[in-house]
Amino acid sequence: MGNMIKAEFRKILTTKLWWAMMIPAFLVAGGWALGGAALTTEIANDLSREDVIQQFDIPINEVSWSVIALARAMNIASIFPMLFGALGLASELHRRTITTTFLTASTRPGVLTAKAIVYTVWGVIYGLVIAVAVSFGALLGSDSNHLPDGKQWALVLLAGVIMCTLWTLFGLGVGALIGSPVGTIVILLIYALVIGPFGEFVLFSATDGSNLPGFLPNGSANGMTGSTASALLFEQIQALVLNLGGEMVTEDRRETFDQAIRAVAGAPGALSLWLSTLVFLAWTALFFGTGMWRNQTRDIT
Amino acid sequence: MQDGSGRIVVQNLTKNFGQVAAVQNLSFHVEPGSVTGFLGPNGAGKTTTLRMLLGLVRPTAGHSTINGQPFERLGNPGRVVGAVLEAQGFHPTRSALNHLRVYAAAMGLPDQRAHEVIQLVGLAGAAHRAAGGFSLGMKQRLALATALLGDPQVLVLDEPANGLDPEGIAWLRTFLRTFAASGRTVLISSHLLAEVEQTIDQVVIISRGQTVFYGMLDDLRRSQQSRVLVQPADASAFVAALQAAGINGIQPMPDGRVAVTDATIQQIGDVAAKAGVATYGMQEEKVDLEQLFFRLTSGQYTAPGYAAPGYAPPPQHGGYALPAEAYQQQQYQQQQYQQQQYQQQQYQQPPQQAYQQQAYQPPPQDYAQQYQPPVQESSPYQPPAPDPTPAPQQDNTGQGGNA
Repeated sequence: MGNMIKAEFRKILTTKLWWAMMIPAFLVAGGWALGGAALTTEIANDLSREDVIQQFDIPINEVSWSVIALARAMNIASIFPMLFGALGLASELHRRTITTTFLTASTRPGVLTAKAIVYTVWGVIYGLVIAVAVSFGALLGSDSNHLPDGKQWALVLLAGVIMCTLWTLFGLGVGALIGSPVGTIVILLIYALVIGPFGEFVLFSATDGSNLPGFLPNGSANGMTGSTASALLFEQIQALVLNLGGEMVTEDRRETFDQAIRAVAGAPGALSLWLSTLVFLAWTALFFGTGMWRNQTRDIT
Repeated sequence: MQDGSGRIVVQNLTKNFGQVAAVQNLSFHVEPGSVTGFLGPNGAGKTTTLRMLLGLVRPTAGHSTINGQPFERLGNPGRVVGAVLEAQGFHPTRSALNHLRVYAAAMGLPDQRAHEVIQLVGLAGAAHRAAGGFSLGMKQRLALATALLGDPQVLVLDEPANGLDPEGIAWLRTFLRTFAASGRTVLISSHLLAEVEQTIDQVVIISRGQTVFYGMLDDLRRSQQSRVLVQPADASAFVAALQAAGINGIQPMPDGRVAVTDATIQQIGDVAAKAGVATYGMQEEKVDLEQLFFRLTSGQYTAPGYAAPGYAPPPQHGGYALPAEAYQQQQYQQQQYQQQQYQQQQYQQPPQQAYQQQAYQPPPQDYAQQYQPPVQESSPYQPPAPDPTPAPQQDNTGQGGNA
C-alpha cells in the first residue's frame, strides 16, 4: 500500500493540475471572503445606526458577522478541491494510464484505497490553503469589531477544511462512477453551482422552511460551515443580550434565528453542524463506494 | 503465491461484449524460453485475449494464469509480467522519466531503475521531455521501458512493432530473442506474420475469436507444400487418370485449371501422357508462410469444404481440423468443372452470409488487396474482377475462394 500511495503522490506532483486548481481556489476564497466581509460590515454598520435597532439594545456592532463571509467563501471555493478529486480517477481512465496503474498494482481495490488516502491528504491541503485565503480576505474586508475571536475563527475553518476534504473524495467517487472527465466535471459543476443551490432554495421555500435541503449533498456540505457560523453567532448574541440584562431566547426563536443565518450563509434548511457532517459523509461514502464498485468490474479495453 | 515457472496458460477463454462474441473458447499455453507469436487479423480478438490474461478485461467464461496464478493474485504483478498494450497510456504533460518514476514507485523499485530502462530502450536523450510530444515509435519504446521496469519474467506485447522504424523493429527482434534466450517468456501479438516471423518460435493463430492453428512455427513451415497448376484439355479424363495413378491431392480451380498437390510436375506429365490427355500448361506454385497464414485466418468468409485442401492441415494441437479431402473430391466430381455453377453455388452465397453474421468484423481488406485473389469476382464485398480466364502468373488461384 505504501508503494501505491507514493506512486499516487508522484502522479499528482508530476503534473500541473494540483496548482492549476489551487491558485483559483485561493483567489476565489480570498476574494469571496473579502467581498462578503465588506458587505456584512457595511450592512451591520448601517443597521446599528437605525433607531429601531438601537431601541432593542442589540449591540449589532459587536457581533462577529464576518464568520458568515468565512463560511460562505469556503463553500464557494470548495468547488476546486471537488474538481481536483473528480479528475483523480476519471483522467486516468481518459488518458488510459489506468492500464499501467492496474498492471502495476496488487489489486484494483488497492489502487482505489491508495487514491482515497492520497486525495484525503490533498483535500486537507486544499482546505488549509482555502482557510488561509478566507482568513486574509476577512481580515482585509471586515471592520475589526466584526471579526470573530480566535476560537470561533478556528471552528469555522475546521468545519471548512473537513468540508473541502469530503468534497475532494466526493468528486473522486463521482469521477470513478462516471469515468469520463468531461462528463464528471460538467455534472458536478451543474449540480454544485446551479441545481444544488437553487434546488435547495426552492425546496426550502416550498416546504415552509423544512430541513429537507439539509439532507442533500450540497445542502449538507454548506450546512457544515453555515451551521457553524449560525451557532457561533447565536451564542455570541445570546451572551451579549444576557450581559445587558436580557432574557434567554426561546427554542422557537432560536430555530428561526439559525435558519435565517444559515440561509444568509448559503445553507437554507441546513441541519446542525454534526448532522450536516454526518449526512455529507454518508453521501461521500455512497458515491465513493459505488465508484469503487463500478471500477472493480470495469473492463479496461 | 506463484510458481515462478514463467508459464502462461489460457484455458477456454470466452468474452462477449453484449451480442458480439469477441473471443470464443480460446486455449493455448506459452512456455518459458520461447517467443510465441499471437497472430490473427485485426478484430480477431487478440487484444481482448491479452487484456483478459492481464486482468484488465473480465472473461465471460474460462480462465488464464501466469506462473500458475490468475493475474490478480500475483501480488506485485509488475515484477512478474510486463506488458506493452498500447502506445497511448501516458499523461501528455508528464515527462518520460517521471512516468517511469511513478510506476517504479508503484512496484517498490528505486528511481535508479527508471534511469536504467530509459537507457535500455534508447530514450535517455528524451527523458525530460513530455510524453505527449513523442512520436509513435518513441511512445512504443517508452511503453516497453515501462513493461521492463519490474525486470519481469514474462513479457506480453500487443502489436509492439506499430510505429517503430525498421531499425527499431530490428532492435526489438534482437531484444526479444535475447530476453527469451535467458529462459523467460515472451508473448507477442501481430496481425502480420511476416513482421514477427523472424522472432517467434511458436505460433497461436486465431481468427474470429477462435484458434485456427497452435504449434511450432517450424511445423507450420513444414506444412507448406507446393502444388502444380495444370490446364488439361479434358479435365474429367485428367482427374480420372490421376486418381487411377493414386494421386488424390486434386482440386478444381474456378478458372478451369486443376491444382495437384501430392505429385511432381514429372509425375503429372507422365500420367497425362499415359492417359492421352493433352495439357496446355503446367506451373509449379509455392505458397509461403504469409499466404498460409492468410488462408488460415480468412477462412471465416469461405464456404466450408473449400478451405485449403492439400495445403493442409498443419500438425494438430488445438483441435482444429481442415476439411477432409474426400469431401473435396466429391465436390470436384459433382461440379464437373462447370465454372458458372461453381461460382454461383460456392462463392456467392456463403461469403455473404458469413459476412453479415459477423457484421462487427470488417472484412480483411488489407489482405484482400494485398493478395488480390481472382475468385473475389463474385464476392459481394469486393468489386468484380474483369477477367475470369486463366491467368498463369497468379498464385493460389481459386484456392477454395478463401485466398
